[in-house]
Amino acid sequence: MELIVALGLIVFKVALLIAMLLLLPLPLTWLERKIAGHMQQRMGPMRVGWHGLLQPVADGIKLLTKEDHIPAEADRFLFKLAPILALAPPFVVFVAIPFGETVSVLGNEISLYVSNMNVALLFVFAVIGLEVYGVIFGGWAANSKYAVLGSLRTCAQMISYEIPMGFAVIGVVMLAQSMSLLDIVRAQADVWNIVYQPVGFFVFFVAGLAEAQRIPFDLAEAEGDLGAGFHTEYSGIRFAFFMISEYVIMLLVSVLSVILFFGGWNGVLIPLPPLLWFALKVAFFVYLFMWFRFTFPRYRYDQLMAIGWKVLLPLSMANIIITGIVFS
Amino acid sequence: MSRARDRTGTWIGWAFFSDLSNALALTLGYMFSRTVTMQYPDKEKWLPYSRYRGHHFLKRDEEGEIKCVACELCARICPCDCIEVVPYEDEKGNRRPAKFEIDTARCLFCGLCEDACPADAIALGQQYEFSSFSSRDLVIGRDDLLAKPGKAATGGGVVAARLDTKKDVLVEASEPQGYNWWRNIRRT
Repeated sequence: MELIVALGLIVFKVALLIAMLLLLPLPLTWLERKIAGHMQQRMGPMRVGWHGLLQPVADGIKLLTKEDHIPAEADRFLFKLAPILALAPPFVVFVAIPFGETVSVLGNEISLYVSNMNVALLFVFAVIGLEVYGVIFGGWAANSKYAVLGSLRTCAQMISYEIPMGFAVIGVVMLAQSMSLLDIVRAQADVWNIVYQPVGFFVFFVAGLAEAQRIPFDLAEAEGDLGAGFHTEYSGIRFAFFMISEYVIMLLVSVLSVILFFGGWNGVLIPLPPLLWFALKVAFFVYLFMWFRFTFPRYRYDQLMAIGWKVLLPLSMANIIITGIVFS
Repeated sequence: MSRARDRTGTWIGWAFFSDLSNALALTLGYMFSRTVTMQYPDKEKWLPYSRYRGHHFLKRDEEGEIKCVACELCARICPCDCIEVVPYEDEKGNRRPAKFEIDTARCLFCGLCEDACPADAIALGQQYEFSSFSSRDLVIGRDDLLAKPGKAATGGGVVAARLDTKKDVLVEASEPQGYNWWRNIRRT
């Protein structure tokens, strides 16, 4: 009986998580378009619902009812596989992400995470690395020059930015003496890691921007030179898969920034519920992503590589050494 | 000396991303500034100036008779040949148009007919909403032209309006002048 209740709880949590992650891109697209509009002195969507709030629903209906076109020259199997490969890893990663300690529902203490792995951080980085397969397959299978160029760029970018990103969090692991995300947040109860690890955060955030393929590092889908990059040939629901995956990764990088460097659900000064504190911090980072997008131009490809290998990698290594000397 | 200070200044600025943070501050400022969008059919409508060249209209004289003398000068000068006038003699012995048709689908709204008219009978007015699903609806006859709105008295303002899909964009103005749309433009 105990086992069935525990199993049911896990299934419920996973279902809730999937529903949340599938639905969150809807308000995020609306928010992104509103922010874009107001930064350019426009209004953004205004006509569907109050201030365009139902616009994402209209867009979703449009994408679902559109023709799902597969190019004649495409590799049909890989073409169909790629959106799923791009969508699955960001969802899997959230299994290891804690959203808080516990909440009491009807007198029972329920933990706000699906699993508390002792190597959660390693798991996160391992699984998020798989996302590049969807991009490679999508670009290759479409058999179009823009798609192939976009996916080649993405490969090089992902691989060269995953290294500084991995090195940047080592400082955090050294401080918390653990790779469990729960322990990392608990270790920040008094002082957030951003105080000890400003360089680490900087490297992590810039690499995260590149990982989420957002401006200024969105070379994979640079509209100006590549059409739409690796998803040039995709339409309808498969295109929607790529879009959802992009937004979930953006959310993931925000959540990781908060957990690793900004104290997770630990609040300061104002006593708010821990879950609310967490949501507010994540919302701030999501806004930061959009703010960056409509402020900065795109980096050139050689500049992107130079930043990754010549600036971020040495910085992250120096950060590890200094952290080791100071906090040992 | 000053050059050295400049150099350290730029170096410090570079180290703390002064250029990037300036850009972020600028976009944030714009984000909370007034938008310049004119919400045309839904909420607002622009009033044309009196010099605006919109839909043609025919004028009447003091006795309520049509001013046009059917000289066909407008038809002659029209660069797109879209005016067709057929004259007749009315009971007073005056030359008047029996048929006066303008094909607004072909018209380019240059206003030459207005300039050529010796009787000051035709002019281009303030109406600019006359799109149609059928090009035949765009051929406007004499009586319709007489009923069209004339030149705007003032203009340049933006007034409150509402879209009626059956009829038109309805103006609901409490202030006939409207507000000056240029006040929304941020100048820095």
